[in-house]
Amino acid sequence: MISLYIHIPFCLAKCRYCDFPSIAAKKDTYPAYVSALCKEIKLRHQQASPLKADTVYFGGGTPSLLSVNSIATILTTLKTSYDLSPDAEITLEANPGTVDLPKLQALRKLGINRLSFGVQATQDFLLKLLGRIHTLADTKEAITAAKKAGFQNISLDLMYGLPRQTLAMLQESTAWALQQEPQHISIYGLQIEPGTPFAQMQKEGCLPLPDEDTVETMYDFITTTLPQHGFERYEIANFARHGFASRHNLAYWQDKAYLGFGCAAHSYYNFQRTYNTHNVYEYIRSCNNNALPVFEEEKFDNQTWMEEFCFLALRTARGIDKKKFQENFHRSIHDVYGKNINMLLTQKLLKENDAYLFLTPAGMKLGNIVFEKFLL
Amino acid sequence: MDAKNIRNFSIIAHIDHGKSTIADRLIEQTGTLTEREMEDQILDNMDLERERGITIKAQTVRLHYKGKDGQIYELNLIDTPGHVDFNYEVSRSLAACEGALLVVDAAQGVEAQTLANVYLALEHDLEIIPIINKIDLPSADPERVKKQIEDIIGLDASEAVLCSAKTGVGISKIFTEIIDKIPAPSGNDSEPLKALIFDSYFDSYKGAIAHIRVFEGMIKPGMKLKMMSTGKTFEVTDIGFFRPTPVNVGSLHAGQVGFIAGSLKNVKDIRVGDTITTVQNPTKEALPGYRGVTPMVYCGLYPIDSGEYNNLKDALEKLQLNDAALVFEPETSIALGFGFRCGFLGLLHMDVIQERLEREYNLKLITTAPSVIYHVYKTNGEMLKVANPAELPPPTEIEHMEEPFVKATVIVPNDYVGAVMEISQEKRGKFISMDYIDNRVMLVYNVPLNEIIYDYFDKLKSTTRGYASLDYELAGYQQAKLVKLDILLNGEMVDALSTIVHIDRAQPRGRQLAEKLKKIIPRQMFEIPIQAAIGNKIIARETVRAMRKDVLSKCYGGDITRKRKLLEKQKEGKKRMKSVGSVEVPQEAFMAILKVD
Repeated sequence: MISLYIHIPFCLAKCRYCDFPSIAAKKDTYPAYVSALCKEIKLRHQQASPLKADTVYFGGGTPSLLSVNSIATILTTLKTSYDLSPDAEITLEANPGTVDLPKLQALRKLGINRLSFGVQATQDFLLKLLGRIHTLADTKEAITAAKKAGFQNISLDLMYGLPRQTLAMLQESTAWALQQEPQHISIYGLQIEPGTPFAQMQKEGCLPLPDEDTVETMYDFITTTLPQHGFERYEIANFARHGFASRHNLAYWQDKAYLGFGCAAHSYYNFQRTYNTHNVYEYIRSCNNNALPVFEEEKFDNQTWMEEFCFLALRTARGIDKKKFQENFHRSIHDVYGKNINMLLTQKLLKENDAYLFLTPAGMKLGNIVFEKFLL
Repeated sequence: MDAKNIRNFSIIAHIDHGKSTIADRLIEQTGTLTEREMEDQILDNMDLERERGITIKAQTVRLHYKGKDGQIYELNLIDTPGHVDFNYEVSRSLAACEGALLVVDAAQGVEAQTLANVYLALEHDLEIIPIINKIDLPSADPERVKKQIEDIIGLDASEAVLCSAKTGVGISKIFTEIIDKIPAPSGNDSEPLKALIFDSYFDSYKGAIAHIRVFEGMIKPGMKLKMMSTGKTFEVTDIGFFRPTPVNVGSLHAGQVGFIAGSLKNVKDIRVGDTITTVQNPTKEALPGYRGVTPMVYCGLYPIDSGEYNNLKDALEKLQLNDAALVFEPETSIALGFGFRCGFLGLLHMDVIQERLEREYNLKLITTAPSVIYHVYKTNGEMLKVANPAELPPPTEIEHMEEPFVKATVIVPNDYVGAVMEISQEKRGKFISMDYIDNRVMLVYNVPLNEIIYDYFDKLKSTTRGYASLDYELAGYQQAKLVKLDILLNGEMVDALSTIVHIDRAQPRGRQLAEKLKKIIPRQMFEIPIQAAIGNKIIARETVRAMRKDVLSKCYGGDITRKRKLLEKQKEGKKRMKSVGSVEVPQEAFMAILKVD
């Protein structure tokens, strides 16, 4: 069983913190891109034998910018090349400013059964500061419409650690999000990435970020509040009502194979990580020339596999499956990481039971420190 | 070549006044190198030298020039190091010459460094030819500079050559002046051999090579020679000169400059300033001025990864092959493990060696704060020379201490005199004199070397917007009230962070150092108290709070590579830190004392 990812690199405007592959391209680029995307799906299909897939994820960028027809074309192409299971989880990321009821109804009809809305915050001035194109009213409207259109699996993204954001604002945003009764919530602590407008503003000293202690209080608030409201923390940054953990999201951490289509999309298949070119136009040209738009292939030796197997699994609440480790690497995990594991156990960052090794709440907070200990 | 057609000279200039460019033009115009072979600033052939725009090793080049009289002249240009650290080397190079070109920037005028080297040249009785360079600059004022040369240095500048090494104007006049004004060397081939070593380097094929100036007698391959200071004898295998690559010749005669190589494996055998003579017919008297190498600044060098100790040792040995001024001996630190206490001519020398170790030998090092040599007089009458603060005996055993002072000469525009005086006093300087030169002032202070290596020059530069120029020379030891300032991390004393400071400065330095360390040491899993102490008395305390949150955010589209790279970078960063007890301490922490205000 594999997962399929479709990258839609278009946005109406680029958010000020974003360094993910997206461009504010002219709308006439969309059809060319969609047709290239379909070509890539077919190209890959020729290379890989027909596979069973149980999740599809339209990520971005802003996938909701595409017309319903475009999304239908992509899905149809996928279905002709891959064996999508009947209960497949099919997610579309949506910007609340880009959808309305008719569009959502049409998407639901196409088979999209999960929506992920980038809510981020509920204060319009914060949204504006982030460079988001929507307001709280747009978000409210989009969620209502989504429910009306029959979506029963809705995820909301929330951000903390934003410039000018206070704990009270985050509390307000969280309360509002809970009121919408979503099935899933992702949290995202703002990171200033080099090359973004925020990075520039920070350099110029005009980015009033909350201090470290405040950010920590925000993190504590949100990671304790969501579970209190019935959201299970199944992964460091993801919370879901029982049965609504995103299967697609989990695939990344559970060492499952996935194929990514579209510019800058990543794949993990057949012991290889590959990623496509970041350049939309180069991507289109390459696909039109019937060449896979792969930018880089990563050698994947046993050690890399072992390291990633561990630090990725540790992001999940369940943690590292020790038996699986033994099966994969023919050694016990303690043989390989014994010293570090013991240290992390004494530091109370890690916990262990018969079957799993997993992060404690403190370990989740200091995830990077723990993960690093699994690099050999 | 008849000795009357030989001219031996060097170029004296302040940094950036154009010494290397003039040398380039001279080489170019004599056709010593074809244009294709020319590379800017040929004589600075170490990468570091080019990058920093300074000369570290002396170089020589022999030029053949056809004079206006139709005769061929042999011009030996001896390029000297241009930094106060290498003062002794400069003096030896000058001793090999009969004349010197004094290059002064037409816009900037005379600087402290220029002064010091001119005085050195005058001490050696050299004929000095003033050259005013960069006359093409819009701000050039040759007349004012001429007046400065006359007023400050006391040289007749009426015939100074006005030139621009950039445009080539005046270069041919320089040749005429060299031939007309610099005396030909005296000396006689039939006298017992007397040759001065003014530099050395290591060649992996030929072994240790000496740059020499023959004063009396001559040298041929196969001769048995003797170093007069050590008595070491060897047989000459190669003789030659530089253009600037080495060219072998059959002999070197009285008055000539060149190189010799023989059965010498180590540059330590070739001591700069030493006199070479023959075993069979030795000269009675060595040339004057030889002295052994005396490092002024010491620091500890430790590999971050203790497994690299032997690599560090090998690298130091290799560098020492080419640098007789570098000294080192093993030392042990409780905090840092096994390393070396290394002695350097000065801060630049230290910097250069450290950079070469990291760059050329790929070593990750921890450098402890530099220290001078303190003379510690113990109550039992014994005198200790201490270059490592950790080795200072307990206060009860110390009768008194002395520290080295330097005579520091500073030249600044009038406006900054107040600022310079303030800094100098703050740095425990004792005022000696003040003289006006045009609109500038020359201030002389006696300053503890300890303060110079802290941040005297940096402060000087920053408060005078870079206008101040500084030169200094050792001026003996003086008694001072000094104490050892210790640093405790997480309650444990870290010997490598100890420094020796003046008692009046101990309190603020301790406080500043603790503050600085707080900024440098990253948050860790637990809280880390930083304490500064003198003896048992804690004089400052700061705390690095425990790290509480560090986690990668969500993942977009399965981009695991990015996450992995971040983790790898984080791990790599840790490799640049040393575990001291349970605390991870970054490299720069050990130099923090230099960066406190």
